[in-house]
This record gives sequence, C-alpha cells and structure tokens, in this order.
Amino acid sequence: MIFRFWYFIRETFVSLWRNLSLTLAAILTVAISLALVGSSLLIREGADQATAQFQEGVEFIVFMNADALENQNEAIRKVLDTSPAIKEYVYVDKFAAYEEFRELFVDKPELVESVTPEIMPPSYRIVPSDPDADNVTELARQFSEQPGVKEVATATEAIRQIEDFSTRVSQALLLAAIVLVAVSAVLILNTVFTAISARKTEIEVMKLVGATNWFIRIPFMLEGTIHGLMGAGLAVPALFVVDSRVLAYFQESEAVPLFRGFAVPDGFVWNTSIWILVIGAAIGMIGSAFAVTRYLDV
Amino acid sequence: MIRFETVTKTFKGEVVALREASAEIQRGEFVFLVGPSGSGKSTFIRLINREEVPDAGKILVAGKDVSSLSSWKVPYLRRNIGYVFQDYKLLPKKTVTENVAFALEVIGRPRPIIKRQVPAILELVGLSRKADRLPEELSGGEQQRVSIARAFVNRPLILLADEPTGNLDPATSVGIMRLLDRINRSGTTVVMATHDRSIVDTMRRRVIELDRGMLVRDESRGVYE
Ligand SMILES: Nc1ncnc2c1ncn2[C@@H]1O[C@H](COP(=O)(O)OP(=O)(O)OP(=O)(O)O)[C@@H](O)[C@H]1O
Ligand SMILES: [Mg+2]
Repeated sequence: MIFRFWYFIRETFVSLWRNLSLTLAAILTVAISLALVGSSLLIREGADQATAQFQEGVEFIVFMNADALENQNEAIRKVLDTSPAIKEYVYVDKFAAYEEFRELFVDKPELVESVTPEIMPPSYRIVPSDPDADNVTELARQFSEQPGVKEVATATEAIRQIEDFSTRVSQALLLAAIVLVAVSAVLILNTVFTAISARKTEIEVMKLVGATNWFIRIPFMLEGTIHGLMGAGLAVPALFVVDSRVLAYFQESEAVPLFRGFAVPDGFVWNTSIWILVIGAAIGMIGSAFAVTRYLDV
Repeated sequence: MIRFETVTKTFKGEVVALREASAEIQRGEFVFLVGPSGSGKSTFIRLINREEVPDAGKILVAGKDVSSLSSWKVPYLRRNIGYVFQDYKLLPKKTVTENVAFALEVIGRPRPIIKRQVPAILELVGLSRKADRLPEELSGGEQQRVSIARAFVNRPLILLADEPTGNLDPATSVGIMRLLDRINRSGTTVVMATHDRSIVDTMRRRVIELDRGMLVRDESRGVYE
C-alpha cells in the first residue's frame, strides 16, 4: 500500500511537470475564478453585517453627536415617547455602541484601539408605526433637523444603497466566477487529456498486463485534483488581501455612514477559504474525472 | 484452456472478422494462427483477452466465459494472459529492468517479489547483461526478448503473440521461437499469429488457418499451407 502511494505521487508529479505551461494556465484560472467566488461571498457577508442594525422592524436610526447635550437627548426622547408615529425604539448609548463596534471588529484590534466610548455616537433605533417609505423619509427629515442630531440613516435608503452595491458587485463577480470556473474545469480536462495522450503506450501496456481501471485512473484524477487545489491555494491569500484592503477601504470611506459596519469577521474569511479549497478540489476532480471516463475507458 | 464456440465477430456491422469459428486449445498446447492479411488472426487473439467482445458465440478461457465477463473482472483475466506485440510496445524512457518490473508494479505486486522475479526472467530471456539499457540501445530481437520477458514475468497460463517475429530477420526470429518454445515447454499455452512460413514448417506444431474470418483448417502437426 505504501509502495502504491509513492507510485501515485511520483506519476502525478512527473506528469504535472511534463506539461508545465498548460498546467500553469489551468492553475491560474482556477485561482482567479475562486478568488472571485470568495470576494463575492465576502462582500455579501459584509453587506449583511452592515445592515444587521436594521432588524426587527427598525426603519431608521437617529445618530446623535458624540458630545450631544443631555437636554438635546431629552427633547428627542420626548418626541419619541409621545408621537403616535413611533411604535417603539431602543436607545444605544456610547458604551453599548462601543461594545457593538468591538464585537464587529473583534479581529481588527488596531481599529478598536483607535476609538474610545467617548467618540462613539449614541443612537436611537426606531420602529415607526407605519413602515411606508415616504412616511419614514418624512420622519427622518424631521429628526435630522433637531439640535444635537448628527445624522439619520433610514433603512430604505441605507439598506438599499448597501444592498444595491453588494448585489451588483457580488453578482457581477459571481457571474465572472461561474464562467471562469467552467473555463478552468475545461482547462483541467485538457491538461489531463494531454497527460493521457502523452502516455498512450504506457496506458495500453497497463491495460494489457491487467492493471485495474482505478489504478490507471488515479494518477490522472490526482493530477487534476492537485491543479484545483493549487489554484485554490493561490486564491486564499487573495481573499485575505480583499478582506484587509478592499473591505477596509469601505470602512474608512465617509461616503456612506453604514459602510463603517462593512466588516467581515476573520472566522468567516477562514471558513470561506476552506470552501474555496473544497470547491477547487472539486473542480479538479470533476474536470479530470470527465477526461478520464471520456478518454481512458476500455 | 481456450474454447471458441461458433464465435462471430463483425466490425461496424459489415466487416466480418470471424465467422462461426469453433476451436478448442488444450493446456500446454502451442498453436499457430495462419492466413492471409485481414483473415481475422489478430481478432482471434484479441477476443481471448477480451480486447474485443464477440457478436455471437461463446469464448471460454480457463473455464470462464470471457464474452460475458463483467468489465471490472477483465484486468484479473488479463493477469493470467501474457501478450507479445509485433512492435514490442516497450516504454522508451524505462530501462529493460524497469520495463519488465512495470508489468508487476501496475498490478500491485510487492516490491520484494518484483526484485526477485525480474532478474530471474531476464536471465531466462538472456538479457541479464543488458538489464540497465534503454530500449533504443537494443537490437530488434533484444527488444522483443524484453517484451516477452514482460509478458511472461507474471507466469501467465496463456501467452498470446501477434506476429512476434514480424519485424525481425530470419536468424533473430529463430532465437525468439526458441524462447517461445521454451516458455511453452514450461507448461504455458502459446497462441501465435504469424505469416512466417519457415517457422511454421520447421516447428511442426498445431496450425489453425483462417480465411476471410472462416476457420478453414486445423491440423495438429501442420505446415504453413
Ligand atoms: N477495430 C476494427 N475496426 C474495424 N475493422 C476492423 C477492426 N479490427 C479489424 N478489423 C477488420 O477485421 C478484419 C480482420 O482483421 P484482423 O486484424 O483480425 O486480420 P489479421 O488476420 O490479423 O490481418 P494481418 O495479417 O494483416 O494482421 C479485417 O478486415 C480488418 O479490416
Ligand atoms: Mg493482425
């Protein structure tokens, strides 16, 4: 058994080396397509995280200035408590906001260290009686004119912005990724087919001396699977770059306040990486299985 | 050992390569298949080790019906059948030893057995001194000896040879025939397709003649025609 293991490893790498250019093309295509798949997943997750504050009917959030005065807060609270247009609300103070921020960026300590509870804006998460978009917009406008209010984010507008953005980007990426995944499967099929052609006599002899079909197939399938895995291996660091550069860019941009919540926990990046490796191996296996059943049968 | 029962094989529904051929070959026999080009000799041989499947009739090899053998069992059938080609089919980048060992490696024989059997078989075919040469460094006759060593190293019950002397000069052919005769005398059944009249006439073994797919002659100590 050990001997067989080395036989397979040796045969596989000899073959990888033998058609290097095709192999590289296949590996790079797998890498690019999987990096796109991963980025698309990260952006979706980022959008989910960013919109997480808008849950359970919260339609808009009134952010107060970090240094808002107590009487300014009281004025707001009075409106909220008395107005029939407001069903319920939750007050998130600086410390709670800081806690949330810490949880969100738990694996980015440098970001957490850059803020203190003092500079966090307290906010009111508000569930209106009537969630109709026009009504919410009007309420938001009224609150934004109150003294001490920094800004008002409405679910309709903010979520739409983020979701529009994230669906558009992640769908475009996903579409490109699907095309490239198909291309890479075909490329792997091709490399394996080339490997098979290069060893026609060898395969013929193997069949005639009674090697089993699986014995003949395994090195080729292993080869395809390794292509897939190597491509995925290159895609994983790319994911971390996307996480630390691209998503961080959103977090630091002032354009849309909610993008500040656009963070993806490291755990999610790792999980995605594992999926990427699994998908990579699967692409390689499927591509080579196809080549093998197509060109190698008795 | 090998039994053909009214075997018919056609290609693409029109070319009849073998027509209702029946023959029985006993264990340890040496059989020449003769006949003009295209008469079905290669087809006869390829049916024995299940490279081809008959359209009608039955083929029994060592008591088993190979025409209805499920395909995953075919490799195990072939482990009992050695095969020698006209063009040797040696792997050009492997040495003599490696070429012979290859046949055992790919059927999962343990390394110690390979280490023991390969030198023994090279001794038998008289190539011990050239064990580390590459095929291109050998003469045609020597290459055919390697191919025979590879076919016989697993001690098969049956050795099939399709024109093994087809590319060799008469003197070299005699050497190859001596080797095949020796293998046959060790108990292995040998079936050999050939166009070589002088070999058939000097060996005086069983001759089966085919003509356009029909078995037209079967003599126990026959001549070429
Ligand atoms: N794979 C194939 N597809 C189609 N026709 C085939 C195939 N193999 C053999 N034939 C046909 O079957 C007939 C018998 O062929 P076969 O190879 O058995 O003849 P042979 O006696 O070995 O000839 P030769 O002496 O030239 O080797 C021929 O007409 C050949 O063209
Ligand atoms: Mg022939």
